[in-house]
Amino acid sequence: MENLIANIGLNLIQGLVLLIFSPLIMGIINKVKARLQKRMGASIFQEYFDLFKWWRKPTIITPYTTSIFILAPVVYFMTSLYAATMVPGFLTGQFSAGDAFIFVYILALGRFFMTLSSMDAATSFGGMGGSREIYVSVLVEPAIMLAILINSLRYHSTTLSGMIIDYDGAYFTISAVLTCIAFFLVMLAENSRLPVDNPDTHLELTMIHEGMTLEYSGKLLTLIHLGSYLKIIVFLTLFGALYFPINIPLWLKILLGAVIIGIVETLNNKMRLFKVRVYLGAAIVFLLLAIVAE
Amino acid sequence: MFTEIMPEAVLETAEKYSANGAHPLTAMFGRDETESGAGYAIYCCFEFPEKKDIDGFKMVFDPKGSLEYDSITHVVPGAAWYEREIRDMFGLVPKGHPDLRPLVLHEGFPENFYPLRKNVSVNAKVQGDRKYKMRTAKGEGLFEVPVGPIHAGIIEPGHFRFSQAGEAMLQLDAKLFYTHRGIEKAVEGKTPYEALPIIERICGACSIANTWSFCQGAEKIAGVLVPRRAEIIRTLLMELERITNHVGDLGNIPAGVGFNPAISLGGRLKEKMMRLCEAVAGNRFLRGFIVPGGVRQDITEELAEHIHEVLDDVADGVEDLSVMFAEQENFQNRIQTTGIVRNRTAVDLAMVGVGARASGFAHDSRSDFDYGVYSELNFKPFTKSMGDVAARILVRIGELSASFEMVDSLLEMLNGCPNDDLVADMKYGAGEGWGISESARGSNFHYLVLDDAGKIDRLFVRSASYPNWPALTVAVQGDIIPDFPLINKSFELCYACIDR
Repeated sequence: MENLIANIGLNLIQGLVLLIFSPLIMGIINKVKARLQKRMGASIFQEYFDLFKWWRKPTIITPYTTSIFILAPVVYFMTSLYAATMVPGFLTGQFSAGDAFIFVYILALGRFFMTLSSMDAATSFGGMGGSREIYVSVLVEPAIMLAILINSLRYHSTTLSGMIIDYDGAYFTISAVLTCIAFFLVMLAENSRLPVDNPDTHLELTMIHEGMTLEYSGKLLTLIHLGSYLKIIVFLTLFGALYFPINIPLWLKILLGAVIIGIVETLNNKMRLFKVRVYLGAAIVFLLLAIVAE
Repeated sequence: MFTEIMPEAVLETAEKYSANGAHPLTAMFGRDETESGAGYAIYCCFEFPEKKDIDGFKMVFDPKGSLEYDSITHVVPGAAWYEREIRDMFGLVPKGHPDLRPLVLHEGFPENFYPLRKNVSVNAKVQGDRKYKMRTAKGEGLFEVPVGPIHAGIIEPGHFRFSQAGEAMLQLDAKLFYTHRGIEKAVEGKTPYEALPIIERICGACSIANTWSFCQGAEKIAGVLVPRRAEIIRTLLMELERITNHVGDLGNIPAGVGFNPAISLGGRLKEKMMRLCEAVAGNRFLRGFIVPGGVRQDITEELAEHIHEVLDDVADGVEDLSVMFAEQENFQNRIQTTGIVRNRTAVDLAMVGVGARASGFAHDSRSDFDYGVYSELNFKPFTKSMGDVAARILVRIGELSASFEMVDSLLEMLNGCPNDDLVADMKYGAGEGWGISESARGSNFHYLVLDDAGKIDRLFVRSASYPNWPALTVAVQGDIIPDFPLINKSFELCYACIDR
């Protein structure tokens, strides 16, 4: 029993550690992008200041919304935080707060609430953002499930901590490389990064994730942004622990992942909306090939 | 020079002048001559590239009689906006016009208020409650997306109403002219020299084009010939302005698809050009250089050397940018077949500038008219036929390399040209004159009327964006709404130019 409590404590501490470092990872991605464009760019700590700024601003809620509007950012943030406690990171012990399937659907729950809230204020941008988000996630979900399936086949486990790359065995295989590439593609789509969505756009008409958050301000907006930052570091941790077949420390893998995201985003522009299915289709084909190779 | 006709004869006269689009409509504008005992008039100008001239007719109205005439929009589709504007400003009503909503004066103005009539004071304070209905589509599953007039970026005001079937745009209605400044009214009663600072500030991107067209009008009335060195310098400034705008636009178009390295490179090149403009004119917008009769300053040898250096640098950058565009497959996928304007549409709407030339319509004032020293530079318009976003990008790149070459020859021409005479003496009498110049966005037309004292009686300004705005609503049809920012940026239309 004491052991269990200690394990839960460890999980919570890991969630908090990821929470604290998540804005830093965003700052690093943005810095890499800026330097590659020969710009100085903002400090890597800029996201902390931004969060602080949003937190202090008044939270405006239109009178036409329902309680979903307030609930959704909280659920979105809490699901991201829950996912952060689950990923096989630094401190996770034997106890896991759920298996890989819980992980996928806890994130889906957050997304479900965000799409609900996007339609709540009945603005057309929100509705467009919500419908596009569903369109992308319908394609993302099977890809993530496949990626998990591959690792559970390999390591005979469905818990995330049971799937960590086993550096004692043969870990640098064709199947592992294919999964690594595919998971990276899916990670970009899931986290609304280029080339699927443009995270730093002001163009209302093309936005996916940002379109859903247009009506938010103040503390609710802070929660949404923090939830998104958290989601990226969670995915990077998962990517590092499960799918990045290079034997270096996990924190280095996360940093490396962030730098690669920055590079990929610089090299790419946003694709046509209806081409996203081709992009994610390619990821799914990679994963199927990986299963065959396995 | 303009034939006077009665309103009854307008349709056949317009048909004769237009010759089924062979002579593009330059502009239509009204004038109030009631103070001199005559009535209202509508000028209708067509371009005649074969004789490098503008010709047209003047329709006169008796102020006590009927102020209606037959709309020529059915014969000359490009006339649609001009007729609406004339109705707003003078109260001359085009019968049978397909869309007679107000164009310039929105809800804030009362009915029967015609600001450009002479009996309205320039300081008139008015408040009104006009009705303005956006055009929308109705049907099962269709919805509307209102955008603007206040946008997320730092741009000017304009309201767009998209009628959507899912992601597909069925129809776009644009409501512009939010910040009408009354410039044409404000310059009345001023001498051309007094009006010059206002003309320069009509638009931040085409101050040289606006001043040059204006000065051409004034010089035609005064009957002076501009010194040769001044003509060369004006042409040089015009090309510098074009390069500045084109590189800025090339950096701006990729922003519609989040193609970051290209955005940064374009921004850097534009900044280099604007600093060059500052070195040349003392300000980043090339203001205060051109005056009626000539130019105010000379381009010294050191300055010419500096221009050379900077342009070499910028030309390399443009080369990099075009390679970057060509090699980015994902970018090519976005720009090809997006936002197509067919050639017939371009001719019908009498489009100008990059928009026209990307649709295979070789419409360029530099070759259609004789001004500056373009005739000595063997200038040929650069055209592409696809009419999509990619074509508009390629036309800009092609024009840039032509401009770089032209600047080189112009600097050489300056070398062997005496620099003692830069500005001619101007003495104004009553008269009318027009001026046209090719800005980065297309032809820029001014029509100037002076009274006996040499003061402005009427100035009409038609900037390049005016005929191209209606084409945008045509270009988006058949594309999906996430492509709109890209299509919009590929035209790079100006709000200030029409809010004059």
